[in-house]
Amino acid sequence: MPTERKSSQELQALLDAAVDGIVVIDHAGSIQSFNRAAQGLFGYLSEEVVGRNVSVLMTDEDCATHDAHLARYLESRVPHIIGKGREVTARRKDGTVFPASLSVGLVTGENPPRFVGFIHDITAQRQTDTEAHRLQDRLMHVSRLATVGEMASGIAHELNQPLAAIATYAHACDRLLGIPDPEIDEVRVALKQIAEQAVRAGDIIRKLRSLAKTEESQRTAVDVNAVIEELTDLIQSDAKAHGVQYWRELAPNLPKVVLDRSQIQQVVLNLVRNALEALALGQLNTAQILITTRCNRDGDVEIAVRDTGPGVDSVLVHKIFDPFCSTKPTGTGLGLPISRTIVRTHGGALEYQPNIPAGACFIVKLPAIRTDQP
Amino acid sequence: MKERAPVVFIVDDDDAVRGSLRLLLKSVGLAATALPTAQEFLDKYDPQQPGCLILDVRMPGMSGMELQQQLNVRGATIPVIFITGHGDIPMAVEAMQQGAFDFLQKPFRDQDLIDRIQRALAKDVTTRTELNERSRLRERLDSLTPREREVLALVTSGKPNKIMAADLGVSQRTVEIHRARVMEKMHASSLAQLVRMVMDLNETATPEG
Repeated sequence: MPTERKSSQELQALLDAAVDGIVVIDHAGSIQSFNRAAQGLFGYLSEEVVGRNVSVLMTDEDCATHDAHLARYLESRVPHIIGKGREVTARRKDGTVFPASLSVGLVTGENPPRFVGFIHDITAQRQTDTEAHRLQDRLMHVSRLATVGEMASGIAHELNQPLAAIATYAHACDRLLGIPDPEIDEVRVALKQIAEQAVRAGDIIRKLRSLAKTEESQRTAVDVNAVIEELTDLIQSDAKAHGVQYWRELAPNLPKVVLDRSQIQQVVLNLVRNALEALALGQLNTAQILITTRCNRDGDVEIAVRDTGPGVDSVLVHKIFDPFCSTKPTGTGLGLPISRTIVRTHGGALEYQPNIPAGACFIVKLPAIRTDQP
Repeated sequence: MKERAPVVFIVDDDDAVRGSLRLLLKSVGLAATALPTAQEFLDKYDPQQPGCLILDVRMPGMSGMELQQQLNVRGATIPVIFITGHGDIPMAVEAMQQGAFDFLQKPFRDQDLIDRIQRALAKDVTTRTELNERSRLRERLDSLTPREREVLALVTSGKPNKIMAADLGVSQRTVEIHRARVMEKMHASSLAQLVRMVMDLNETATPEG
């Protein structure tokens, strides 16, 4: 009939004007309509695919699940994916694939029912995401290097100690052996010390390198206390160089946390650096940094970095996590925002509160692995 | 009075650095006392003990610089050799300005340290001799009568006896007697020597030079 024909042409024009690919299938998965955008996306002409099973547009993996979805819906009439968008991998005529967002609608009032699928190519979006991730990783690495760089003078000093001891012990041995009837036991003790100090110097360098190296983000279930302990030498030397006392109170038997060790260490070092710089502004008599760990009431693990400095000005409290809001003349203003991003990607939170009786307290909250769940 | 043997004090918080320095000093026959904190040194400090101090600039608690300030406040004369880590040069310069004897950057050659220690110990001996000399002079000065002091001041400012007699309202003969007594009490054999003594004493009168 002419009216029916007219409305069918109108519908096709409508479908062809759509930006997204639109594919209509029957209850068995057979393609009934394939709009112009879909032809562009998949590289098939409409007549090449109409009548064929929709599985030609999918990877083999998605095929199986798609058939299962269809069968389940037809049996139960309970929608699982209808009305919801999901990400799938679509297959073109030439066999290449692209990431797509698929949303499925039900053509109502028909039995057996038909389905309409809207396909949106998300390749560009994926690339942007990947690029953003890569940049974020790079930024984290750069900021970690900056933190390490800031600590360099403390580390250089720390490295000088074993080197000075080695040189002096060696000179002493040389002189002791020049004396007639030397005390060999003393020489032996000194030689042992030389070996120990060389190992100590090696340890310092290894720690520095492990902190500075670029590595793929690796998350493993670890003991947070061990992560803090590994930083002890670095923090201790930096604190000492600033005339600051460093304490730690680590709660025993903490539940493990899945985290990227070097990223969380970067966060802690950054907080310690901030504390050292804050302490340099105040009275040095009681300059202290305290790191504590505990399992809080929610079962999450908390790392708190406290200092006895002036604390954060109440005017700035709401801005300290904003990028480029640095109070330090040489600060990039990225330390805290990057730290917060890192902690958030771990599903945790980084918060500030004033320390009692004075100073600042930054708390890193990390979700612990639940032992009551399989 | 018999001089006590000099002791080299070492204050460094690093066990290995302290231990190695003590052994090095022992190997060259120098008596050494090694302490881990500046406070322990201050607690044990005996101004009568000759020696010198090898001091680490950076230490937790009281730093080397703070110890030096404390010693300055107490008027201590012990020569201080600072040992500094890499990049502590500005601190070393400040230490020198505060009156440090010398400084060395870690790690150092043993001979460099030993040479500096020898020089520091020699400096300590000189300082102590000078101080003893001055305290003896001070004693002699204290034995003068008020009139003799007046005469001393006038003589050393170059006044002839005749003028002094007029200034003091006494006879020239009396001035000559006072003057002879001053020379005798101060153990001065010439006017030049007496002038020198007065200059030395004036230096001690303003110890913060």
